[in-house]
Amino acid sequence: MKRAAVILLILVTLAALFAPYLAPYDYGRQFRESPNAPASRRFPMGTDDLGRDRFSRLLYATRVSILLAPAAALVSILIALFVSAAGPALSGLTTLCLSLPWIFLFIILRAVLPLNTRPLASILITFGLMGIAGWAWPARIFTASIRRIRQAGWLLQARAAGISPLRIWLVQVWPHLRAIAIAQFRVLIPSYILSEASLGLLGLGVAEPLPSWGNLLAELQHPDRIRDNPWILAPLALLMLVMIALEALHPSREVVT
Amino acid sequence: MRKVVSNLVTLIVVVLAGGFLAAALVRYSPGFDSIPEDLNPDISPATLRALHEQRGRENSLPVFYVRYLARASRGDLGVSQNLKVPVTELLRERAPVTAKLILWGTAGGWVLGGLLAWMAVWPRHTAFEAAAFSVSGLLLAIPPAVLALGFFFYQVPLGLALSLALLPRLFGTMRALLDDCYASPALLAARSRGIGPIAIALRYVVLATAPQLIALFGVALVLAFGSAIPIEALCGVPGAGALALEAATSRDMPLLCGMALIVTFFVTLVHAVGDLAGERA
Repeated sequence: MKRAAVILLILVTLAALFAPYLAPYDYGRQFRESPNAPASRRFPMGTDDLGRDRFSRLLYATRVSILLAPAAALVSILIALFVSAAGPALSGLTTLCLSLPWIFLFIILRAVLPLNTRPLASILITFGLMGIAGWAWPARIFTASIRRIRQAGWLLQARAAGISPLRIWLVQVWPHLRAIAIAQFRVLIPSYILSEASLGLLGLGVAEPLPSWGNLLAELQHPDRIRDNPWILAPLALLMLVMIALEALHPSREVVT
Repeated sequence: MRKVVSNLVTLIVVVLAGGFLAAALVRYSPGFDSIPEDLNPDISPATLRALHEQRGRENSLPVFYVRYLARASRGDLGVSQNLKVPVTELLRERAPVTAKLILWGTAGGWVLGGLLAWMAVWPRHTAFEAAAFSVSGLLLAIPPAVLALGFFFYQVPLGLALSLALLPRLFGTMRALLDDCYASPALLAARSRGIGPIAIALRYVVLATAPQLIALFGVALVLAFGSAIPIEALCGVPGAGALALEAATSRDMPLLCGMALIVTFFVTLVHAVGDLAGERA
């Protein structure tokens, strides 16, 4: 199961990385003579309302969603580590952020920023805000671990030996936090992929014409079209496959299997 | 008692901080400093400058925040810029719809998650465990909004979509809780005495895990509100979640602020109750 998950994720990542070479057309190219075309040799998954090739858009969307979710997760982990390391001074901030549902906090922050942005800026805003809004849960776990570490005898010994705080952090504390950081990073990636999908459906994610799994899923709001072109479901199927693969590699599953 | 006081203090501090965040967002949102006189060509630049300076003094963040809190304490959360209706009135209309969806969704997710967790733990059979994990994993892989769209088009109650969206998020914790419980010596002794599975489940499992399950219900309520926002917005449910999204997309800051204050209050309250329940465990 795990091997299949790893192979699938490698294949999807490779397809995302080499999207410009694998995609028959540019993601924004319109074939105005063939809007909503069915699947054919020319358009393997048909075309959308605007006559854009679905297969090409799916490849580019995979690139956006699958490569930027880890980046957003990394931002969250770094902020969480910083806030937790700062100690009780910033723990109130964690409590405050945990008091607002994640998506609500996201839309409040999103509302302050311009809504009509260029596609590239919208990518940075979407995934940047995800990273910024999602640090509180890992911070809670880091804070608990750091509190435990601070009471450890070996840390007091290291301090008494005159080792500098930076060295204590890097050599003594970080090895204890590394496993938690990696586990949290792995937990955040699928949740950010799902969040981007929900935000894209709401029109708060990556801006058109740049595709992402979220804005491709917006086509599901017209279920009558699915019967004519089932390839509309392809982004959902790919998203689900990737999510299941990530879950199979989830740290908590290791206990079970 | 000490824990209650500490939770009460946290509640007050977090709501005040949430209010400050909301007020800061309003204060520094683009266009806040503009005044109607900006559009009047008859007013001289010097007068305009003086008017802006006056507005800046009147609306410095601390002054603005104190005023906002004073009005909020009287139940006045301002008027929605977009809908031209008092925020409290809007919330009074929309909140019951969301509350109903969230309560049904959470209760359903809690019961279904509990049943699935019980199925994974009680029979002690790999096939049941694998089936429970597969159902949970499959549901976790579907965005709640997509699940809700499917339910909406087939006219299945949206509360069930919310339940299924919450189920995998509750399943993991419930399974771990039940796993600990079923491995406890008291329960093993009860089993060896031949006590039936239902009696064991009620006497040794439900009672023993009740405080944690109540705390988990609180966490699920908060998760449910997060999932209710896209569900309401996409399926045209006139609830507070859809209102929050409308406020964000139309940059209706008074409405967004009012909602932030109310949501912070309820979420902190739910966490505090959950904490107290967990403490009793």
